[in-house]
Formats: sequence, structure tokens, C-alpha cells
Amino acid sequence: MAGTEGEAVVGEELQGVEGDGEEGGRAGLRLPLARVKRIMKADPALQLASQDAVFVIAKATELFVESLVEEAYQYTRKAGRKTVSRRDVDNSVEAIDALAFLDGALDWS
Amino acid sequence: MAERPEDLNLPNAVITRIIKDMLPEGVAVAKEARCAIARAASVFVLFATSSANNLAQKHKKKTVSAQDVFSALKEMEFDKFIEPLQESLEVYKKSQQNKKEQKEAKAKAKKAEEAEKNSSTVEENSEDADMSNTMETSLSKKENDDVMEIAE
Repeated sequence: MAGTEGEAVVGEELQGVEGDGEEGGRAGLRLPLARVKRIMKADPALQLASQDAVFVIAKATELFVESLVEEAYQYTRKAGRKTVSRRDVDNSVEAIDALAFLDGALDWS
Repeated sequence: MAERPEDLNLPNAVITRIIKDMLPEGVAVAKEARCAIARAASVFVLFATSSANNLAQKHKKKTVSAQDVFSALKEMEFDKFIEPLQESLEVYKKSQQNKKEQKEAKAKAKKAEEAEKNSSTVEENSEDADMSNTMETSLSKKENDDVMEIAE
């Protein structure tokens, strides 16, 4: 497979400084920037992204997870359960327009 | 799950932490639900990246900026994220700036120190070369450390 570091390079600015994660932590970020960057690089159309862009995507992803959990939990509560199930997550995806991009995407492994 | 260089998973421990923090005590999350949420998060990264990239390219830019991401989030109907994200970004930018200044101050101090120690100019030149090599190695080492830290 051709695509490696050299091609889908996510910008010179990204090398190094985000390495220890401390700065991200001070901005309340828990997801590792390097891992987020790696996922971004999977997009062959992406050429360069600024460090700030990677940060915003990482932070947005955290907010997204929180949002999805919050939605799923509504269903858990309605059913009187104490464990959030896969079904609760699926129901949330179906019910919310903004989550349409997840349709069918949760089953690939 | 096969481990490939393009592993698109986010660290389980972090995802679990974020999930748990959102839920009241005594509420559990089924493993399948946790996996689905983790996968959704990865797909979100891809979707946001693609959307932001499209916007950047529309404006004939090669580099996706934070602003592109904000615009993309608006298009994706995640407006509510934008304000908190802008605040977080400010904090992040400040800490990046601090780190940069600290690094530069350190480099400057070291250079001054070395210059005092060594009177010969030949040595000074190789010192500079060594220093830039060290910086590059430590930069890439740092990134590797980050990846290793979160491996499960």
C-alpha cells in the first residue's frame, strides 16, 4: 500500500510539539493528538492540516462522544435500565439528523 | 482486530473515561455500546476531516485550518460545539506559545553557555549541528513516545 508518512503529510507544523500531550491536557484535551492525526491521514484527499486544526478536531471528537453518550443515556433511562446498551446508541443515531453520517458505520471492524 | 499501521482506533481507555465522566454513578456501559461509541468517534474524525478539507480546497487552500474545521462543524450541524471549541483552542494556542518561548529561551541559554565554554569556532559549529540533530531526534522521539504511551 503506497500511502505513508511522505504523502498524506499533515503539515510540518505538526511535528514534535504536540508529542507529550501536556499542552493538549492544559486545554482539557484527553485524546492523543498523534492518534487523531493518524486517523486524519487515512483520508487520501488530505494534504496538509495545521496543528490547530488537528487540535480542534480532537477536541470536537471528545465533545461528540459526550454528546452521543448523553443521547444514548436518555434511552437507557426511559427503559429504566442502569446499563447503556448498543441499542441505546443505535436509537440515538436513528433519532438525530446530525448523526446520520453514522448510519451503518458502526458495524465495520 | 488486526494491528495495522493505519489503526484507526482511538485509545479505549480514554474513550471509556470520557463516557464514564458523562454518566451518573452506578450507570454502566455495555461493551458493545462502548465499542460502537469508539467507532463512531473515529468515523467522526474522518467525517470532520473530509468536510474541513473540502472547504479548504473550495477556497484554493492546501492547508486545512482551524477555521475550516469550525465551518465544517457548522455544516455538519454541530454548531453547539463551536463556542466551547473556540475557548479550548485559545487555551491551547497560549500553551503552545509558552512552550515555544520556553524552548527558544532554553536554546539561547545553552548556546550562550557553550560559547563561553568553547573558545574555538570549529567546535562551535559542530555544537550547533549536534544541537539541531538532538532537537530533531527528540521531536520524533516525543511523537513515538506519545503513540507508545497509549498502546493497549
